[in-house]
Amino acid sequence: MENNWFKTLISVAVNEMNHALKDSGVLLFFVVVPLLYPLLYAYLYNGETIHEVPVVAVDECHSAESRQFLRKADGTPDLKIISYCADIGEARELIRRHKAYGLIHIPSDFSKELAEGRQATVNTYSDMSGLLYYKALLSGCTQVSLSMNREIKMTRLSGMSDREKEVMTKPIEYDYVAMFNPQNGFCTFLIPAVLILLIQQTMVLGVSLLAGTERERRMKGLEIIGDYNTSPLAILAGRGMCYFIIYSGICLYTLCIVPKMFNLIQLWQPQDIILFCIPYILSCVFFAISISYFVKERESCFLLFVFASVPLLFMSGISWPASNIPAFWKWFSYIFPSTFGINGFVRMTNTGASLYQIRHEYICLWIQTGFYFMMSVMIYIRLFRSDYMPDVKYIRQAALQRINRRKEKIGERVNRIRTKFDR
Amino acid sequence: MSVRKSRIYILGRRELGRMTKRPIYLLAMICAPLFCFIFFTTLMDEGLPSNIPAGVVDEDNTSLSRQILRNLDSFQQTEIVQQYSNFSEARSAMQEGKIYAFYYIPAGTTEKTLRSEQPSISFYTNASYLIAASLMYRDMTMMSEYAAAGVGRETMMARGYTMDQAMGFLQPIRIDMRAVGNPWLNYSIYLNNTLLPAALMLMIMLVTVFSVHTELKDGTSYEWLDEADGNIVVAAIGKLLPQTVIFSVMSCLYLIWLYGFLGFPLRSGLLPMLLAAVMLVMASQGFALFISSAIPSLRWALSLCTLWGVLSFPICGFSFPVMAMPPALQALSYFFPLRYYFLIYVDQALNGLSLSYSVWYYTALLGFMMLPLTDIRLLKRTALKYEYTY
Repeated sequence: MENNWFKTLISVAVNEMNHALKDSGVLLFFVVVPLLYPLLYAYLYNGETIHEVPVVAVDECHSAESRQFLRKADGTPDLKIISYCADIGEARELIRRHKAYGLIHIPSDFSKELAEGRQATVNTYSDMSGLLYYKALLSGCTQVSLSMNREIKMTRLSGMSDREKEVMTKPIEYDYVAMFNPQNGFCTFLIPAVLILLIQQTMVLGVSLLAGTERERRMKGLEIIGDYNTSPLAILAGRGMCYFIIYSGICLYTLCIVPKMFNLIQLWQPQDIILFCIPYILSCVFFAISISYFVKERESCFLLFVFASVPLLFMSGISWPASNIPAFWKWFSYIFPSTFGINGFVRMTNTGASLYQIRHEYICLWIQTGFYFMMSVMIYIRLFRSDYMPDVKYIRQAALQRINRRKEKIGERVNRIRTKFDR
Repeated sequence: MSVRKSRIYILGRRELGRMTKRPIYLLAMICAPLFCFIFFTTLMDEGLPSNIPAGVVDEDNTSLSRQILRNLDSFQQTEIVQQYSNFSEARSAMQEGKIYAFYYIPAGTTEKTLRSEQPSISFYTNASYLIAASLMYRDMTMMSEYAAAGVGRETMMARGYTMDQAMGFLQPIRIDMRAVGNPWLNYSIYLNNTLLPAALMLMIMLVTVFSVHTELKDGTSYEWLDEADGNIVVAAIGKLLPQTVIFSVMSCLYLIWLYGFLGFPLRSGLLPMLLAAVMLVMASQGFALFISSAIPSLRWALSLCTLWGVLSFPICGFSFPVMAMPPALQALSYFFPLRYYFLIYVDQALNGLSLSYSVWYYTALLGFMMLPLTDIRLLKRTALKYEYTY
């Protein structure tokens, strides 16, 4: 008996696999999208951050100090002065035409104030169409002002040793370390999350497409693909196994090979990532199966699930910090495996956390697996238990009748239209 | 003319009838965009995340180190939630996601300060959560400036210098940073101005392809063409017009929500943005119709539109600037309607420029609206030849 059950399981899995491979739409989601999207996204963000932001300079002071400031600013990796303008109006025009994204203005009394020992001001204006422009301008100018300030202070303090001067100008030294993403880069920050999300989303789309096809065929009275006369549990297990196997390969590719190709940080331990992927894939499988129950038509699933990707990414707390997500959305985000998947994976791969350190996410993934498994069981019992199954023969007959009636009704009209318009 | 008008009217009514029969239209055209509008604006309601949890490793444990920590805690973005006894404990807490950053004050900091040896304090952020990390970095730099200046200022004022003189000595050059248009560095303003139309645009593209291709799939394309008297342009206009109206209403909703209720900067007045939003609706429809004419398969047309729609988010450059992308993708960005909407938004709502600066962007959107005229005849052919297999 045991052996028999196992055989059905395998045959269901093989059937489903054949099926998925024959359906170009499913193939698209199970293979093409997971293969191509990560490459596209990683390529897009591969620059990590922005360098040499074009800015314009307006030097109304024309002194050695002001020129030194601008020269140094131009020398930072963040900024590139593309033009020295005579006045602010001219500079603004360049910004309006999107030739430059920032403006450094040195007022005419700059060197005078410095010479008199008062505080001199440099005005900077940043175009706020992107925060990275602001960041580049701020960090570029701050670097320059810090280094010039130090020099100025040291020349003013005569009669001290160099070391004394250094201590006097900066009593406490502050170090800043951007751990786990030393470049402060976009790619390192966003791509791991996108990779994980992609697994869930393509799985939901592919599984829904399969379920939608089955549903449509059923409504039309066509033969139901697969083994509808075996036990629902065997069907569920077999299909789950099929998806699991496909996605083990996908996971290997997206989570190991893609990051390697683009030199992303990979601090995880192999055994940890395997143990982590198991509940993530499983929860995605059963989540997808549960969701697919609500899909009535093959293609309608596109419309909703595709759109959900962006809110899901934000919900995970990868961009807007999780500590500041309103409680309602936080609870809402616990519905989706991607929330825990993203947080767990990002911490493992970027910060080198062990499985123990992401136990919260790990346990939640197993809870989700259990929950969605129960849902799937209920759904499959409803769909596939023979006494719930409508008589296939009867349905097929009814559907054929319906189709024929329709054909008769419109057939004549179709021919008329065709001869009328088709040349 | 009146015959055509009435045909469009008939086709429009027919389309409305089709839409009411399938609940997916209600979900995709109204519920999903509304969800997005509400989700993104409530998520970032704070504008700038405040009190992000941070930790502390104070190995020095003196009144000076405690004073430094108190200073740090008083900043808006950072909140010190936990003290750790050593570095590796704090690092582990960061890996567990309990804190986003921590300060490390090594033993002997106070002694060194007293001996004038210039001790160093380190600040570690988990930069794989980029937004949190950069906000805390900003706090940290401000704090280090203030703390250093604070110590020096008091000494100098005690020696009889005036405040002006003290500041002139401690910080000879000051940077006055102005963020034009969004002085609060509000993330909600920065992101939602583009996220909401982007989500809507994605739905428009998908719904357009879906509604055109279901005609083929259901085998009703003959009827559809018949109602239009064989004129595919009339057929397409009649079919898409009800959707244009509904999506334009959705656009108005987010415009009112963002600029009316949430008070986002709108320096140009509502009209240019309203024009841009309605044009974005039609440009997206135009693009989707172009794709569905060119590709006769529902599945592949939808997939291509999905790719385009999802790729619009990063490639329009609202979070990661286009100029930092690889050159091939920079060139590709010209083929996304959302890119032009974003540029119009920057010129108009954010910077309040005159319309003449954005004329080309509006023209580009107009171009996307006209795009299907190039290949719509293919759609007619498909509509007539398509054999639906039951």
